[in-house]
Amino acid sequence: MTDLLANLALGFGTALSLQNLWLCFVGCMVGTLIGVLPGVGPIATIAMLLPITFGLPPTGALIMLAGIYYGAQYGGSTTAILVNIPGEATSVVTVLDGHQMAKQGRAGVALGVAAIGSFIAGCVATLFIAAIGRPLSSIAQLFGPAEYFSLMVMGLIFAVVLARGSVLKAICMILLGLLLATVGTDLVTGQERLTLGLQDLSDGVDFASMAMGIFGFAEIIKNLENPETRDVVHGVIGRLLPSKKDMQDSAWPIARGTVIGAILGILPGNGAVLGPFASYTVEKKLAKDSSRFGRGAIEGVAGPESANNAGAQTAFIPLLTLGIPPNAVMALMVGAMTIHGIVPGPQVMTKNPELFWGMVASMWVGNLMLLIINLPLVGMWVKLLKVPYRMMFPAISIFCCIGIYSINNSTSDVLFTAFFAVVGYALLKFGFEPAPMLLGFVLGKLMEEKLRQAMILSRGSFMTFVERPLSAALLVVSAIMLVIAILPAMRQKRDQVFTE
Amino acid sequence: MTDQQGDGESRALFRQDFGAGLFLIAVGLFALWEGWKLPLGTLRSMGAGMLPFSLAVMLCLGGVGLIITSVLNKGEELEAWSIRGLLFIVGGVVVFAYTIQTLGLIFAGPLSMVIGSMASDEFDWKEAVIFSVILTAACALLFKTALGLPIPVNVFW
Repeated sequence: MTDLLANLALGFGTALSLQNLWLCFVGCMVGTLIGVLPGVGPIATIAMLLPITFGLPPTGALIMLAGIYYGAQYGGSTTAILVNIPGEATSVVTVLDGHQMAKQGRAGVALGVAAIGSFIAGCVATLFIAAIGRPLSSIAQLFGPAEYFSLMVMGLIFAVVLARGSVLKAICMILLGLLLATVGTDLVTGQERLTLGLQDLSDGVDFASMAMGIFGFAEIIKNLENPETRDVVHGVIGRLLPSKKDMQDSAWPIARGTVIGAILGILPGNGAVLGPFASYTVEKKLAKDSSRFGRGAIEGVAGPESANNAGAQTAFIPLLTLGIPPNAVMALMVGAMTIHGIVPGPQVMTKNPELFWGMVASMWVGNLMLLIINLPLVGMWVKLLKVPYRMMFPAISIFCCIGIYSINNSTSDVLFTAFFAVVGYALLKFGFEPAPMLLGFVLGKLMEEKLRQAMILSRGSFMTFVERPLSAALLVVSAIMLVIAILPAMRQKRDQVFTE
Repeated sequence: MTDQQGDGESRALFRQDFGAGLFLIAVGLFALWEGWKLPLGTLRSMGAGMLPFSLAVMLCLGGVGLIITSVLNKGEELEAWSIRGLLFIVGGVVVFAYTIQTLGLIFAGPLSMVIGSMASDEFDWKEAVIFSVILTAACALLFKTALGLPIPVNVFW
């Protein structure tokens, strides 16, 4: 306990330095600014803004990136409430009741309760990370290559289970992601693989180009297809601070949402996505009058938004303690860390305690800042959202181009982005969900490394994965998850959850 | 796509999963062809080609699986592709890539944005040109002056 306090003190000492406070503020600000744009989710936002952190010292850069991430998350919720467009998967649920509240002239209260809920969830999640970080990273010491491999298999299976639509298609997307990850120089033998003889591919496919093409540009092309149905709230935003009754109504949903989101967020394979859905379902079940849901029930905003934010934050746990990114956003964080010469994993905590605890503390600071800066700025976001899409998409597009170009000052990165825009569009048309592919790609290199190590240790026997108890347990869990997902009864339920 | 009654067999080609399957098989075969020279190695010491080969084979199998399901349970039809969106959005990015180093942001920016704007049905020359010039100036100020990114803005004078 004293350990925890000492660590947090160190963290706050770092996060509260004037420079880091400023970086956190700027990060939250620009993150929200970009995240508010409809159709731009956290992944595209972070990829776009990655270059602006390059000149900073590592700790400052990560604090700013984390700020950008929370800002983008919160911006997505703002768009969901004010416009009928969810910026990303996790704010789909917020649209349901949030936008209804906005239509009833209670947009301000919806935004306010979302901010307050997110802040409370953020506080709890920060403490949770601080408390669980050290024990988990000592578990990591028990992990050999076989366990790491099985854990990543579990992450991928979760991603399959959580993806919308057909399980087979999701598995294919994972395979495609893993295949793309093998492109480039083989780390063991130094041979070039699947590079098509292109020099630019010898370091592998650039993750930021891929993410930007698929989540930035393909999305724009898709949005242009449908005539604009943006339904920006007209008229008043109304008061921002929830009334006493509103707070009473949302207190328990916030608490439950926080717990649900924090726990699901730790799961590898982007469990954070599930948080808002789970929270919404729980609140609807617990409500005395469930018919209010979908018609502007404040619980339907408070719970999921808290779950969303708690999950967004605890998703850092697998990355910081095991070095495994649980989703595409965290993969971008890995990229950013590597650029600054930090290898994510259990050693970060002991080697760079300042960075680790500084980042944890800055999560809390970032959440506080969002609360302070966003509420007064709502009017500005509303104005921004009224800009027609025909002017918005060229702006998004040029930001993306400049962002991608600046990462390596490379023309070929921009061309790869164009290529992946076409691929992403094709995937959308074929009904594939790209998120599992990205996760497969992200984990691919590490998985291959661990697989090869495990096979050397076991002298070429696959039995090692089931003979080692920890690894076997992880595989059993994944198998159960997969079977449940395929069972017809569960499949219907899963479809319901996602369409609801 | 006016006659919705077309019989299942002849329309299989136009189903989403059928196309998806073909797409995966094409990618898998391409990877096999590209990587056929790589040594597979043994399970005990895997070669560089082991994983690409196995993944490509699995991808092809997945593709076959999708084709089979599409023939068996029909499923959704392929939607029309927006050639206009693809052409101009992707075109704008490609133009940016090829002009940023030679012409600098002052020309690459407006050029790629105007091309990109043509993807919209509401395209208007005057508006697009004015807007793109203003935005380029803002980008130059933000990224070059304020953030100091080494992006070539003006390569002429």
